[in-house]
Amino acid sequence: MLMTLAVPSAIVCAYSLLSRGAYGGVERPWTLENFRLLADPMYLRIFFRSLWMAAAAAVLCIGLAFPLALFIARSGRRKNLYLSLVILPFWTSFLIRIYAWMFLLRDTGLINTVLRAAGLIRQPLPLLYNDGAVLLGLVYGFLPFAVLPLYATLERLDPTLLEAAADLGAKPLEALFRVTVPLCAPGIRAAAILIFVPCLGTYLASDLLGGSKTILIGNVIQNQFTAARDWPFGAALSVVLMMIALALMWAARRQGEELV
Amino acid sequence: MNRRVFLLGAAAAAACGKTKPRLNVYNWSDYAAPDTIPNFERESGLRVRYGTYESAPEMLAKVMTGNSGWDVVFPAAEIVPPMIEMGLLQKLDHSRLPHLNVFEGIFRNPPWDPRLEYTIPYLDGTTGILYRRGIAPEPGSWADLWDARLRGKMTMLDDPPEVFAACLKRLGDSINSGDPDQLRAAARLALAQKPLLRAYLNAEVRDQVIAGDVWAAQAWAVTAGQAIAAAPDRLAYCLPREGFARYCDTAAILRESRRAEEAHRFLDYLLRPEVGASIAQAAQTATPNAAARRLLPAKVRENPVLYPGEEALARGEWFAAQTAASQKLRDRLWTQIKSA
Amino acid sequence: MKRGLAVYAIAVYAFLHLPLLILAIFSFNASKFTLWEGFSLHWYRAALADPELVESALNSLMIAASATALATTIGTLAAYALWKRSSTWLAGSLYLSLVTPEIVTGVSLLAFFQWAFRFLHWKLGMHTVILAHVAFSVAYVVVVVMARLRTFDPALEEAALDLGADEFGAFRRVTLPYLGPAVAAAAMLAFTVSIDDYVITSLVAGIDSQTLPMTIYAMARRGVNPMLNAISTMVAVVLGAMVLISERLRSS
Repeated sequence: MLMTLAVPSAIVCAYSLLSRGAYGGVERPWTLENFRLLADPMYLRIFFRSLWMAAAAAVLCIGLAFPLALFIARSGRRKNLYLSLVILPFWTSFLIRIYAWMFLLRDTGLINTVLRAAGLIRQPLPLLYNDGAVLLGLVYGFLPFAVLPLYATLERLDPTLLEAAADLGAKPLEALFRVTVPLCAPGIRAAAILIFVPCLGTYLASDLLGGSKTILIGNVIQNQFTAARDWPFGAALSVVLMMIALALMWAARRQGEELV
Repeated sequence: MNRRVFLLGAAAAAACGKTKPRLNVYNWSDYAAPDTIPNFERESGLRVRYGTYESAPEMLAKVMTGNSGWDVVFPAAEIVPPMIEMGLLQKLDHSRLPHLNVFEGIFRNPPWDPRLEYTIPYLDGTTGILYRRGIAPEPGSWADLWDARLRGKMTMLDDPPEVFAACLKRLGDSINSGDPDQLRAAARLALAQKPLLRAYLNAEVRDQVIAGDVWAAQAWAVTAGQAIAAAPDRLAYCLPREGFARYCDTAAILRESRRAEEAHRFLDYLLRPEVGASIAQAAQTATPNAAARRLLPAKVRENPVLYPGEEALARGEWFAAQTAASQKLRDRLWTQIKSA
Repeated sequence: MKRGLAVYAIAVYAFLHLPLLILAIFSFNASKFTLWEGFSLHWYRAALADPELVESALNSLMIAASATALATTIGTLAAYALWKRSSTWLAGSLYLSLVTPEIVTGVSLLAFFQWAFRFLHWKLGMHTVILAHVAFSVAYVVVVVMARLRTFDPALEEAALDLGADEFGAFRRVTLPYLGPAVAAAAMLAFTVSIDDYVITSLVAGIDSQTLPMTIYAMARRGVNPMLNAISTMVAVVLGAMVLISERLRSS
């Protein structure tokens, strides 16, 4: 099992040091050329944008998911049902869900049509094909990745702790922020990792909801393995991406805590 | 498990166990009529395993390993020469393809495979502009897609060779140019156009043109054909004055295949006029098979979107494979355009 | 506050389910395009009559079920092992599998399989897809289960050991029940990432392992049609019904 985890990473690293095959694939000689090309500020900007989007998506997801996870954890016998309801929409195809969003957001889409019929707007709002739409797609797509780990830690939270806090004079909101949130810190961290890290390499949301007018690093990498047929450069880009992600997680880990 | 379920299972297992000779065919999706494969299975007694792919790199990544398990694939014309060079394709045995005489003109002797030694042309098409009638300006050239009056209502394909092709044609250059100066000039044009564009969209532009979100779009003939069929009085398609890109998908036998005999039978079946005609109608695109085209209903046969005529097609240019250096430069410029 | 939480939950559920509702509505649309033209069951008939679509939907469910079972087991054990004795290497490679863009994972897994198959005389197929799905979903399981383990008091397990349980017994009787909700949540995540994956699957799939996302992407290349909405709606309804039934069985 460890093989299927570690070997692909090793292959990526090896690819990043090879030369481009004429029509895809890799060839010798070994070279550092791929990393030298990366020094272009253009790629730096794209990396930075991707980091920003992933961070924004993680923060929004956790903020949105926390109260929902709390609600599910406190709903007694029904909690499994409520939990399944969170995940159910994600058992349909990603592409079809995105198309549904496109139908909602486009100029002649549901939201613009309703707003126009209500006389609130004259010109359709440009909802689709901008950064907001990309972020919406990311938040929508990754919300369950926040709800599930948060639920997994909130579920065991001892209610007597909150009662104790209340007895000591804490208001509900105060108890929430001073007792509940700190206690489920492992869940928040898990959610942050599960969203931030895969978001960094994602490309479909910016393609479909961003109308491909902006790109994230995931698109650049995807493009190297498809249209550009430059696997070594794609591998080099993803090695850098992996390093950035690992370094950030390393930095974010608290003193004395383990990596996971 | 009750007895009936057991019996059913046993029967199914027996049915699978009976080994008919089989053929593995790997095609683009929606690129055959629903009855193409069943009819072939019935008359040949072969079992066909029919798989589909969505992009050329996906197919190429697999067959490049030389151990993909597929027998027949459908490479786009521009990757035929590289595939021949890499030794991935088998030479066709023309004596086993009695229907090879269905082609006329360019398709008898295409630039990517003169004499049809390795491939047979399968389906072809063009890239042009799909637009709403009555808009100003009414598109007739690529330059119209730079008109500020259409700001926010235009799209280009999300495909680097296509965008470069349009820009290069506008500059009067070849769509396959590898000249760095020409490519940089094309990229500058694309950058100037980007603020005017609504998005870069491929097939999904169809619904948005029909709904009226998009007024003018760089589009493949097959997409345009579907859209125009839905709203014939509102939409139209043109092949720009400066010239345009043509594409052709081909059928070929992989070298790794050990079923050359069956594969040739299948290719010859595809060449038959009535089979070619039903495939062209199902795929809603043009067929290079002249005998098949004659069998199509007049309305399809004369549809100018699919068959614009020799005079218009003379402005077209076939995609060709890029050299490594030009491919690298194109990719860098593409990233620049997209990240701007 | 309880009321507020419930209202909020309804709003989020609406946000999550709105696209699902839209796609279900359009699966009953008579038109091929996203313009409403009247009610029709046409696309359901077409979807069910398409052997490729039905077969790939069944393949997807089969692959997702097996990959989920394997990944949940392996992932839970790996999380437990990591909790007992931390290993930077295991943790590091798990993270790497999360951060590697799908296409890169796919290409390198393909290279790995091709290399390994030279010795094993295998071909790409269902087993490679399942293996690949386990490989990329196991990290999700570990992260979720680990979050729960962090809130677990090791003294409980020690108490069981003191009371005469062997190590496996203590894990099975004390730790595992405690982990229950997290394991369930992790399994759901693994199932979700498995059933939705396209990029990696399409690269490692063999000639008999076409999955639903592969079929859908292939069709969408030339413009989507409501047949895909119909099959998606059916998959969602079937899985939803299964969840409801298992819930009923458990509570009765």
